[in-house]
Amino acid sequence: MTRKGKENLTAYLFLSPILLFFAVFFCFAVGFSILVSFKNWNMLDSPVSVPFVGLRNYVGLFTDPLFRAGLVNTIVFALAVTFTSITLALFVAIALYKLKGSAIWRFIFFAPMITPAVAVGKIWTYLYNPSYGVVNHVLGWFNIPARAWLSDPTLTLPSIMIVAIWSGLGVPMLIFTAGLDSIPTSYYDAARIDGSSKVRTFFSITLPLLKPTTLFLLVTGMINAWQTFDLIYIMGGAAPAASTQLVSIFMYNTAFSYMQMGKALAASVVLFVISLFTTLLALRSFRKGGMESYYA
Amino acid sequence: MVYPFLWLLSASLMTVREFISVPPKLVPDVPQWGNYTAVLQRVPFFRYLLNSLVVATSISLLVAFTSALGGYVFAKMDFTGKKTLFRFILATMMFPNFLFLIPNFFLLTRIGWVDTYLALIMPFAVSGYGIFLLRQFIMNIPSELIECARIDGASQFRIFVQIIIPLSLPAMATLVLLTFVAQWNNFLWPMIITSFTPSLTTIPVGIAKLNLSFGSLANQHLVLAGMVIQVLPVILLFLFLQRYYVKGIVMTGFGGI
Repeated sequence: MTRKGKENLTAYLFLSPILLFFAVFFCFAVGFSILVSFKNWNMLDSPVSVPFVGLRNYVGLFTDPLFRAGLVNTIVFALAVTFTSITLALFVAIALYKLKGSAIWRFIFFAPMITPAVAVGKIWTYLYNPSYGVVNHVLGWFNIPARAWLSDPTLTLPSIMIVAIWSGLGVPMLIFTAGLDSIPTSYYDAARIDGSSKVRTFFSITLPLLKPTTLFLLVTGMINAWQTFDLIYIMGGAAPAASTQLVSIFMYNTAFSYMQMGKALAASVVLFVISLFTTLLALRSFRKGGMESYYA
Repeated sequence: MVYPFLWLLSASLMTVREFISVPPKLVPDVPQWGNYTAVLQRVPFFRYLLNSLVVATSISLLVAFTSALGGYVFAKMDFTGKKTLFRFILATMMFPNFLFLIPNFFLLTRIGWVDTYLALIMPFAVSGYGIFLLRQFIMNIPSELIECARIDGASQFRIFVQIIIPLSLPAMATLVLLTFVAQWNNFLWPMIITSFTPSLTTIPVGIAKLNLSFGSLANQHLVLAGMVIQVLPVILLFLFLQRYYVKGIVMTGFGGI
């Protein structure tokens, strides 16, 4: 056998467990989801024998007011949480950059992120409690009237967004810190000699050079945010369903409470299409230089 | 930033009356250590802990091994279809988990794994992120080392076990830590798959259920004690090993699995 042929054989032999895994838990699953989303299936019958119903599941989704509310909420939630946490993380990273004891700061900002979302959700449910919660109590010091943070339909989603932002600052902050490390100090020296103000230096040096990092964080942050489930599942129970509905929650309930698997699969495919759109953006951001080196 | 944690610690040691007092109390008058023994006695909490430990450890070790395997192939071997396969593996990271819930649930019930640990472990045995991380790391191992071993007559498998794995241990440690924390906290899949087999319940699912099993407000402080037991191990783990965690994130630019 030629050297090339032998190397091919070894490589695929080494990869076989990995390829088997992706065939079973990835390719099969994606194919199954797309195919059965066009069928009327309830988990008990065989998915092969149940009839195709064309686009009925998708039409059903988009005429369902709860799903439409979920779609709007998902987009609002993902955009608001991603943009806010990245902006905040940038400022925190710059503020803490030259500070002493950075390991302690890092720990403080990371702790919420490694805490299970279930626990984070529960803790904040107590803090937000309208009668004995600390949030209302503290706001009371400033004469701000008490509110029902997690049952008032206009307040619930924003209240949960605040928690999502609080718990998601760690990673972007760290990646920004790594980005700041890669900016040569000579640029800052030059700016100082030219008498550039701090604000001007930020907008003309720091921000443009962090652009690939920022873009990359936006895209990966968004892909995660589309899939938010745990926090809303734990915290959203007291508010009217439509106000905290997300595509993910809708899909979960349709599947595992109502057993309408076809419709639930259609919802997951919609979520997938939204993610795919973000992925295409991601690939563009890779090409623009953020992750170029990884493709080499 | 840290207040919610301090609150959790303090509130888990309060009596119900202190817990729901208005204005809120900062610290309990007498720490109620009994809350902890009560929660351990009233739900099978040790069982939850054991389940989580078994599942998170198995997944971490499996992921570390399969990632080193894939990472080595993509970093050091030259073969037909390499670029396409690597892009495919990167792309798998971009797919929402929700696409896999129903098909995998269906598949695992059909092959009869649902009442075993396999159902909790196998769907996470390979990670696109892990392969990517190990590839980045193994690319920096000098190829001369591998060439020398090959000239000495070592098989590819021996090279992998005796050269690549020992040299990749720092990156594998990072990956084990990242995976362990992610799986310790994993909620959605264990909740779905253990819905018929309560004996396999993991901690996050157990915590979410505590509310149901304790029902009334009278036991809320016990829920908090349970949460401290869940949160403390990962916080401590992170406190001591955070530089590995940070290294993984900086090396790949990704925060999670």
